[in-house]
This record gives sequence, C-alpha cells and structure tokens, in this order.
Amino acid sequence: MNCRSEVLEVTVESRQVEEAMLALLHTILLHRSTGKFHYKKEGTYSIGTVGTLDFDCDYIDFTFARVSSEELDRVIRKAVSEFKDALSNSGSDGMGQISLEFYQKKKSRWPFSDECIPWEVWSIKVNVVNLANEQERQICREKVGEKLGEKVINVVEVINRHEYLPKMPTQSEVDNVFDTSLKDVQPYLYKITYQITDSLGTSVSTTMRRLIKDTLAL
Amino acid sequence: MAHFDTEYQRLEASYSDSPPGEANLLMHVPEGAKSQWHHIENLDLFFQRVYNLHQKNGFTCMLLGEFFELVQLLFVVGFTVFLANCVDYDILFANKFVNHTDSSKVTLPDAFLPVNVCSARIQDNNAFVIFVLIISGVFWLHRLVKFIYNVCCYWEIRSFYINALKMNMSELPYATWQEVQARIVEIQKEHQICIHKKELTELDIYHRILRFKNYMVAMVNKSLLPVRFRLPVFGDCVFYTRGLKYNFELIFFWGPGSLFENEWSLKPEYKRGGNRLELADRLASRILWIGIANLLLCPVILVWQILYAFFSYTEVIKREPGSLGARCWSLYGRCYLRHFNELDHELMSRLSKGYKAASKYMNCFLSPLLTVVAKNVAFFAGSLLAVLIALTIYDEDVLAVEHVLSSVTLLGVCITVCRSFIPDKHMVFCPEQLLRVILAHIHYMPDHWQGNAHRYETRDQFSQLFQYKAVFILEELLSPVVTPIILIFCLRRKSLEIIDFFRNFTVEVIGVGDTCSFAQMDIRQHGHPAWMSEGKTEASIYQQAEDGKTELSLMHFAITNPQWQPPQETTHFISQLKERVHREATGFPADAHQLSLSESEPRSLVANLLTGPSALASVHFGRDSYLANHAAAGVSDGASALRSLSPISSSLHLRGSLSVAHNKTSTMSKAMAGSGTDARTVSSGSSAWEGQLTSLILSEYASTEMSIHALYMHELHKQQSRGELSRHTWHRQESDESSDSLPEEVRSQPNPHSRNFPRSHTFPTTVASPSAIPTSASASRSKTIGQEGGSSHQRYSGPTTDSFGAGGKVVRSARVPMGGWAEDGQAASRHHDPVPEESSEDEMPPQIQKVT
Repeated sequence: MNCRSEVLEVTVESRQVEEAMLALLHTILLHRSTGKFHYKKEGTYSIGTVGTLDFDCDYIDFTFARVSSEELDRVIRKAVSEFKDALSNSGSDGMGQISLEFYQKKKSRWPFSDECIPWEVWSIKVNVVNLANEQERQICREKVGEKLGEKVINVVEVINRHEYLPKMPTQSEVDNVFDTSLKDVQPYLYKITYQITDSLGTSVSTTMRRLIKDTLAL
Repeated sequence: MAHFDTEYQRLEASYSDSPPGEANLLMHVPEGAKSQWHHIENLDLFFQRVYNLHQKNGFTCMLLGEFFELVQLLFVVGFTVFLANCVDYDILFANKFVNHTDSSKVTLPDAFLPVNVCSARIQDNNAFVIFVLIISGVFWLHRLVKFIYNVCCYWEIRSFYINALKMNMSELPYATWQEVQARIVEIQKEHQICIHKKELTELDIYHRILRFKNYMVAMVNKSLLPVRFRLPVFGDCVFYTRGLKYNFELIFFWGPGSLFENEWSLKPEYKRGGNRLELADRLASRILWIGIANLLLCPVILVWQILYAFFSYTEVIKREPGSLGARCWSLYGRCYLRHFNELDHELMSRLSKGYKAASKYMNCFLSPLLTVVAKNVAFFAGSLLAVLIALTIYDEDVLAVEHVLSSVTLLGVCITVCRSFIPDKHMVFCPEQLLRVILAHIHYMPDHWQGNAHRYETRDQFSQLFQYKAVFILEELLSPVVTPIILIFCLRRKSLEIIDFFRNFTVEVIGVGDTCSFAQMDIRQHGHPAWMSEGKTEASIYQQAEDGKTELSLMHFAITNPQWQPPQETTHFISQLKERVHREATGFPADAHQLSLSESEPRSLVANLLTGPSALASVHFGRDSYLANHAAAGVSDGASALRSLSPISSSLHLRGSLSVAHNKTSTMSKAMAGSGTDARTVSSGSSAWEGQLTSLILSEYASTEMSIHALYMHELHKQQSRGELSRHTWHRQESDESSDSLPEEVRSQPNPHSRNFPRSHTFPTTVASPSAIPTSASASRSKTIGQEGGSSHQRYSGPTTDSFGAGGKVVRSARVPMGGWAEDGQAASRHHDPVPEESSEDEMPPQIQKVT
C-alpha cells in the first residue's frame, strides 16, 4: 500500500501497441535512472552521465527520448513484446495493463526472504481498437502521437513533484535501491508485469499467503 | 590549430584541461539508510503491531505471557488426559484395597496406573479421546507457530520502539498511547514511514489500526449485520459471538475472495455500481459456501470451542466462582457502543468505568417472586447448615460421616446462590439515575430508554449489551451450530445491501487507502439532523449514522486527541458545541465537575439531583405541580432549594481529593471563555499544559469531558427530537381529528387520566397497559408521536404554559448536567439554530409533558 500509484490510459491500434508502450516505459525509466555510481573511499561517490537518444516511431507520429542503453532497451523490448503477444493471443476485447513497479529491497533475517517493497507503480492501461480503413489509420496515427505527448508531459509533471524517493544508498546498500546490473546506466530497481483484461485480481498464491498470515495474526 | 586572427582568445588562467574523472568531479555523500524505518510496506499491520506491543506492555511481557499460555495449554490437556485415563479411582475412593504390607495408608502414587496400562487405555479408549487429542494438538501447534512468528515480527517492532521512537521497553507500560502516537507523528517527518504525505495525523494512524473495526461498527450501527433476531420463545434477542464475528470478517475483509483486495483497498469492481447484482450473487454464493464449510467443520469447531472455553475459563472459575454470575459487556454491546475511531483500550476503559453502575442497574431488577423463594430456600438451607456446623464444632468426628462434608459444601453453595437473588436491604431503586450515570460512560443508548429506565423491557434490552458471563460462554459454545444457520439464512439475503454498503461508504483517503466513510466523522456527509448537526448535514437518511454516532465519535476523537487538526467545518462544529457546553457550565462551574466525582456511582443525593437525572427531578417537580394543581410557587421553591444546594456540593468537591482535575477543568473553562469561538485555541491551551501535567491526567480529564459532552448531546437530542415530533403531530392533528380525543381528554382533566399517557409510567404507582410498552425503537417512536400529540396541545394551550414557565427552567437546571440553565436564563441557554420557529415554545420544558 505504502506506494504511489499512477495510472495512464491509452487507446491504440494493435500495431501501435509496442511503440506506445515503449514510449511510455522508456520515458518513465529515463527519469528514474541515474548514471553509474562510483564510490570513493571516504564514503562519497560520483555519478556518471546518462546518455539519451531520440527514437522515432514507425506507426505513430511521435518521437521520444530514451536512455541510450542497449541493454535496458533490450529488457524493455522483451517485456513489451511479451505483453503484445499475450494481448493479441488473448482474443478478448483487447484490454490489457502493463505496470512498471519501482521497489526497494529490504534485507530480512533468516526465516524470511528479502522483502521487495514497492514505492511507485505506474500502470498503463491499453485499449486496442480495430480500424476500418487507411484514412482512419492516418487520423489515429496523429491522434495517438498527440496523446502520447500529453502522457509524457504528464509523467514528467508527476516525477517533478517533491515526493518520496529512496535515499541515496551507501556502497553496501546500492543493490537494495538501484539496478546495478547494467553497465552504462543505473535505474531504480524496477519490475515490469502485465495483465490481460482484469482477471480475478489476486492470484491464488497471494491469497494463500494472506490466509496463513492472517491465521497467524489471530 | 588556432591560426585565426580574431579578438577571441583563450583565458589561460581560468581554464585548465585536466583529465576527466578525477579531482573535479562533483562528489556526493550518500545519506544511506540511517534508519530502516523509512517506507514501511504494510503500515496497517505495522501500526497494529506497534499498538499491540504498547497494549501488552512491551516485548518481554508479551513474550512471557504467550509462552506461559502455551505451557498452560499443554499442561491442561496433559493433565485432563491423565486424570481421565491414568488414575485408578477405585483405589482413591477406597472401594478397592491396596495390598500394602508395611502400612494401611493409601498413598497417591498407589492410585496411578502404570505407564503401559495407561497408554493402552488411551489407545483402546473410544475415538473421541483421540479426536480431542488430535484437535488440541493442532490447536497447540498453531499457537506455537503463531508464537514463533510473533516473536520475529515483534522483535522488529521492539527495535522500532527503541531506535526510532527512543522509548525503552521498561518505560513502555507507563507511557500512554497518546504519547507513543505523538512520537510516531514526530518521526514521520524524519523517516517518512508513510510515503504519501509529509506528515501523518492522528486520524491516519487510527484509520489504519481500526480500518475493519470501523466498518463493523458502521455496519452494526446501520443494522446491516444479522445479529438481532426475533425468536418465538425468547422474543427479541441478540446473537453475536466471536465465531460469527470471525466469519463476518472472513467474508468481508480477508478470506479468499473477500471484498478487500488487501488490507488497504477494496477491490475495484466493488467500487463501481454497474454490476452490483452480479457481485451480490457472487457474494451470496460465497456466503453459502462458507456457511456450508462451517456446517461441515461444526464438530471440530465445537470441540475447539469447548476446549477453548475450558482452558480460558476453568482457571477463572476456580479462582472466583462468582465470576460466572457476574456480567460482562457483550460482544454486540462492544460493537454498538464503540465510537468510530476508538481504540480497544479507550473502549475498555470507558466500559469498565460504566461497569459498576451497569451491574447495579441490572441488580435493581431482581424478580420479587424469586426473591421470596430464594429467601425461604436460604432459610432452610441455612438452618441445616447451621446445625451441621454446630455439630461439627462440638465433635469433629461428624465430618467423617459419609456425605456430611459434601452436604455442608452444597448447602453453602446453595446459600450463596440464593443470596445473590436477595436484594440488598439498603439498596434504593433509582434506575433512571443509574442509567444516566451509565450513559455518561457508554455514551450511547436508544432514545426510548430515557424515562423508561425502570421498565423490564429496558432492562432486557440493556442486558443485550451487558450480559451474564455464563450466557456469554454458553453462546460461544452454541455458536458453531448457530453460525452456519445465520450465515446461510440471514446474511445471504443481505448480500445486495452489503455490496451497496461497501460501495457507498468507502472512500479512498490519500495515504490511508480505502476506509469506511463514516470513520471520517464528517458531519456534512453523515451527520444526523436530530443530533445537533441540523443545517450542517447533507446526508440522506441512508447516509446518516444512527444514534448520533458521527457527532459523538467526532467529539470523542477531538477530545482524546487534542492535537488533531480537523477540517474547517468540523472545527466549527466542535467549537460550537464546546462553547455551548461551556456556557451552560459557567452558571455553576462546580456542577461541571460533578460528574467526575459522582461518575462511578451516585453517591450523594445532592450530586445526583444536580447531575441531572431528568426523570427524578421532573418526577418530583411534576408531581408537585400536579398535585398542587399548577403550583408554580412550589416548583420555584424547589428550584431555589436546588440552587442553594449546589454551592454546598461544590464546596464538597473542593474539599475532595480530585482537586487536580478540578483545577484543570476550571482552567479549561477559562480557556474556553477566553477563546470563546475557536476550538483550536482551546486545544492549544490544553497542549500547553502538557508540559506541566502528565498526559495521563489529561486523558483522565478527557474522559470526564467526554462524559459531559455525551450527556449534553443526548439531552439536546432528546429536546430536539421531541420538538421535531411534536411539530409533526401538530400538523397531523389539524388534518386528523380522530387523534383529538386524547389531547382533549388530557387537557380537561390531566390528573385522573394521566394513566392514558404512555409515559405515565414515570409514576411508579400507575402501571401502563402492556400495549404501551415500547419493545422496539419503531414502536416507541410511533408511540411518542401519539403522546407528543397530547403534549404539544397542552403546550400550546394558554394558561398552563404560564404556570409552568418558572418550573421549566428549574427542571432544566436539574436535568442538564452542568446545571447552568437556571442561572443563564433565557438568553444564553437556547439552542439557537435547529428549530427557530419553535424557539419561544422551547423555553417550555418538554419534560413537563412527560411527567403528566
């Protein structure tokens, strides 16, 4: 609970799904990434630079900036294409949701595994529409571009607010806050999950876990 | 490279091209994790644990307590099995001889069976013993796992207390929850436990700890839960046990497929009204399944309950056998009487304060028939016992005669039981006063109780809140059987209402999550016009909280948490109310403290008269006035008598030991007088004392203040609803002449026909016909309408009103706890806004009518 949640909603055509998702996820991650930390002996650190790159969409009239890290791009592309496949395979009304969750790890003692405590969740709800002819597609291309532009500004506004961010960690704790696996950029720890239509909320495992926890707390 | 002939030249001094990366890089210092308390994932659970640890007096106490419970459980099971299977009772009862060679004495070890025989007996024994053993084994294991889990969790909370809150475990038992809470609010600024806001408020913490309890309180308040039943033989009864409560919570809050997604948010589909029917169907089928599961598990639960009851109560019964006869606040009562946002310890202390008065009240109603029987049984049993004891004293060999000792014991028990049915000779029957004292602590009661305190029906209804402990245990034992029936047949039918309830009364609060909207204590949304929030509330009848719950809860919360900054309108309401109470307190400042002194029981008659048992006072005056036929003079005599009494009582109080509280109250009054309009200044005044006075005194004082406010609000509500009703009936009467007969009759000859008034029972001598007995709220309401029809007529008839003018004020002075009416006179004491067109008539005491 103790986390902010932001919801973005977009309506796109099926071939635009991938690019639209990439645009939004990359925009958020651009603002939630820092350069690599280089720790010095006295407990101080310096921050590397974050390179940016403009990316032009093929199916949308839109260009967005992303972190120029191929590794990060690959990870996100993989997640998005999985989402896209799942969406097209679902065959339902084409509703889906992809969420980008930033979390912190908290080390716990032996009997419990490390806790992942989210502090910000971005949920992007996608509504896929089918268009009849080329003219409508053209209009849609522009419309979606405009909409995405609005969303990006929206994202930046949210990120600009002075709200809770994990404190900058010391060297030993940097893994609890940042994803240090990439060599050129260091985003906050994140997790991308997706969900096709609103299925029945919580999964069985979480329910079971809660049941056990609650019986214990009796 | 640079061969251009321009003015531009490099400034050599200021620019040096050092290799990148080293000395000139901007260096940062990590803040690091100074504390691990930033950003806690599950704040609900966290605050609950913090609260629990505080309530259990620290880590060690909790640990030891739980550990010994485990040991006790093991011992009780083991011992019971041992007694049942491993003892040769024939030897103990000397039916069988032991072939000892050395002495004829039987020793205890002789009676024990050898181990192998013993285990064989357990195995051969019927399956029931094995079954019980298995269940208690599971029970024990469950407790053990829970214990270990708790130790891990609470260790973290312990370090939170020590490191973040800077409180030692040793000082924890002596710190109030308010102190702990203030520290939590303080450290939020530094650690940001909750990431949504910069600052936590007290209300946030309460909301999180009491999220589900608030829902339950609201559902009981709106009578949504099927806990009241009308049975053919028992009449109106309430059945609400822990098992039932557990099932309700399972269904609504945390069970598989419950309405809540997690601790803090309702599932989104339940927030939308669109598919409510479908959701209701789904809920109904879930309830059905859970009901069936309950039915199937019934034997297991039954055994579990019996074991549980056995383990928890045998020890108590052993220690004090009388405790079974003693009463306790029922589970339903706790739900009904609980304010929104009231923590367990606050509720418990409130109810405990009312306990004495409540049991006294219940003891007023001993059945005379039983008393006669009990007296005689006690006489015969007593004489037998006396003879036996006398014989024993003469020669103690009498004891060795078979069954003499046991009959002595039995007779003793019999006399003890009988004695409990014989009322104290010196006890005075004054239920109305007692009920009032009770009200000062429990803060809620149905409207129709007032003035009907002496009736058996009121007592029966009160006993639903305040039941015998034995009944409580019996209900608990019955619960496994009854619960599935209630779930399947009663709760299932309400599924649509439940869905609607959760949709309509859930609000999402930033930084808290989904909470019950009643718990916001917003007068505008949930106020009840009959409870002082007229004009301020926009609530429909469906949205209004019953019994003035919103208003009283608000007052309670504001008083217990003086630091809390309520929203603007709420502040206004609080300050207005406080001001009003204060204004009436200034007349006789001493009377305001009356309550604090006479709260536990009505000790002195003077105190009682002044604390305002309205019925008593009005009965006196009413009777006087009627018997003397509108003798206003007599009434004002009474008034002056009262007035002359009050200084005495106040001086008594001054001499009393409660001078600290007294000083404080007067300081409070002064602060109120000084600020007048703004409640915030009042509370800032109170926070200023905090430096000097411990917060414990403050909280003690707060409960007194709350009592005064509760009484005041009830009083005002009574007047207001009466005014309301009479106005309605006034209109109705004009159109409907059939109802004229009653008032007509009353007006012409009030005294002989006073019997016809349903409320005539304020005279103990005239017993109203059974039909006039209010059995439910609705019945009484309709009745009040009829009766108020009479009263309003009377009120509007010229000469009578005049003659009552003086008496009116007097009655008020007696009725309102702080007794300021008589002094303030007309200008100050009116309740201004709610019924403007009636204000002139309202000078007339409504009580007078009740008396007739």
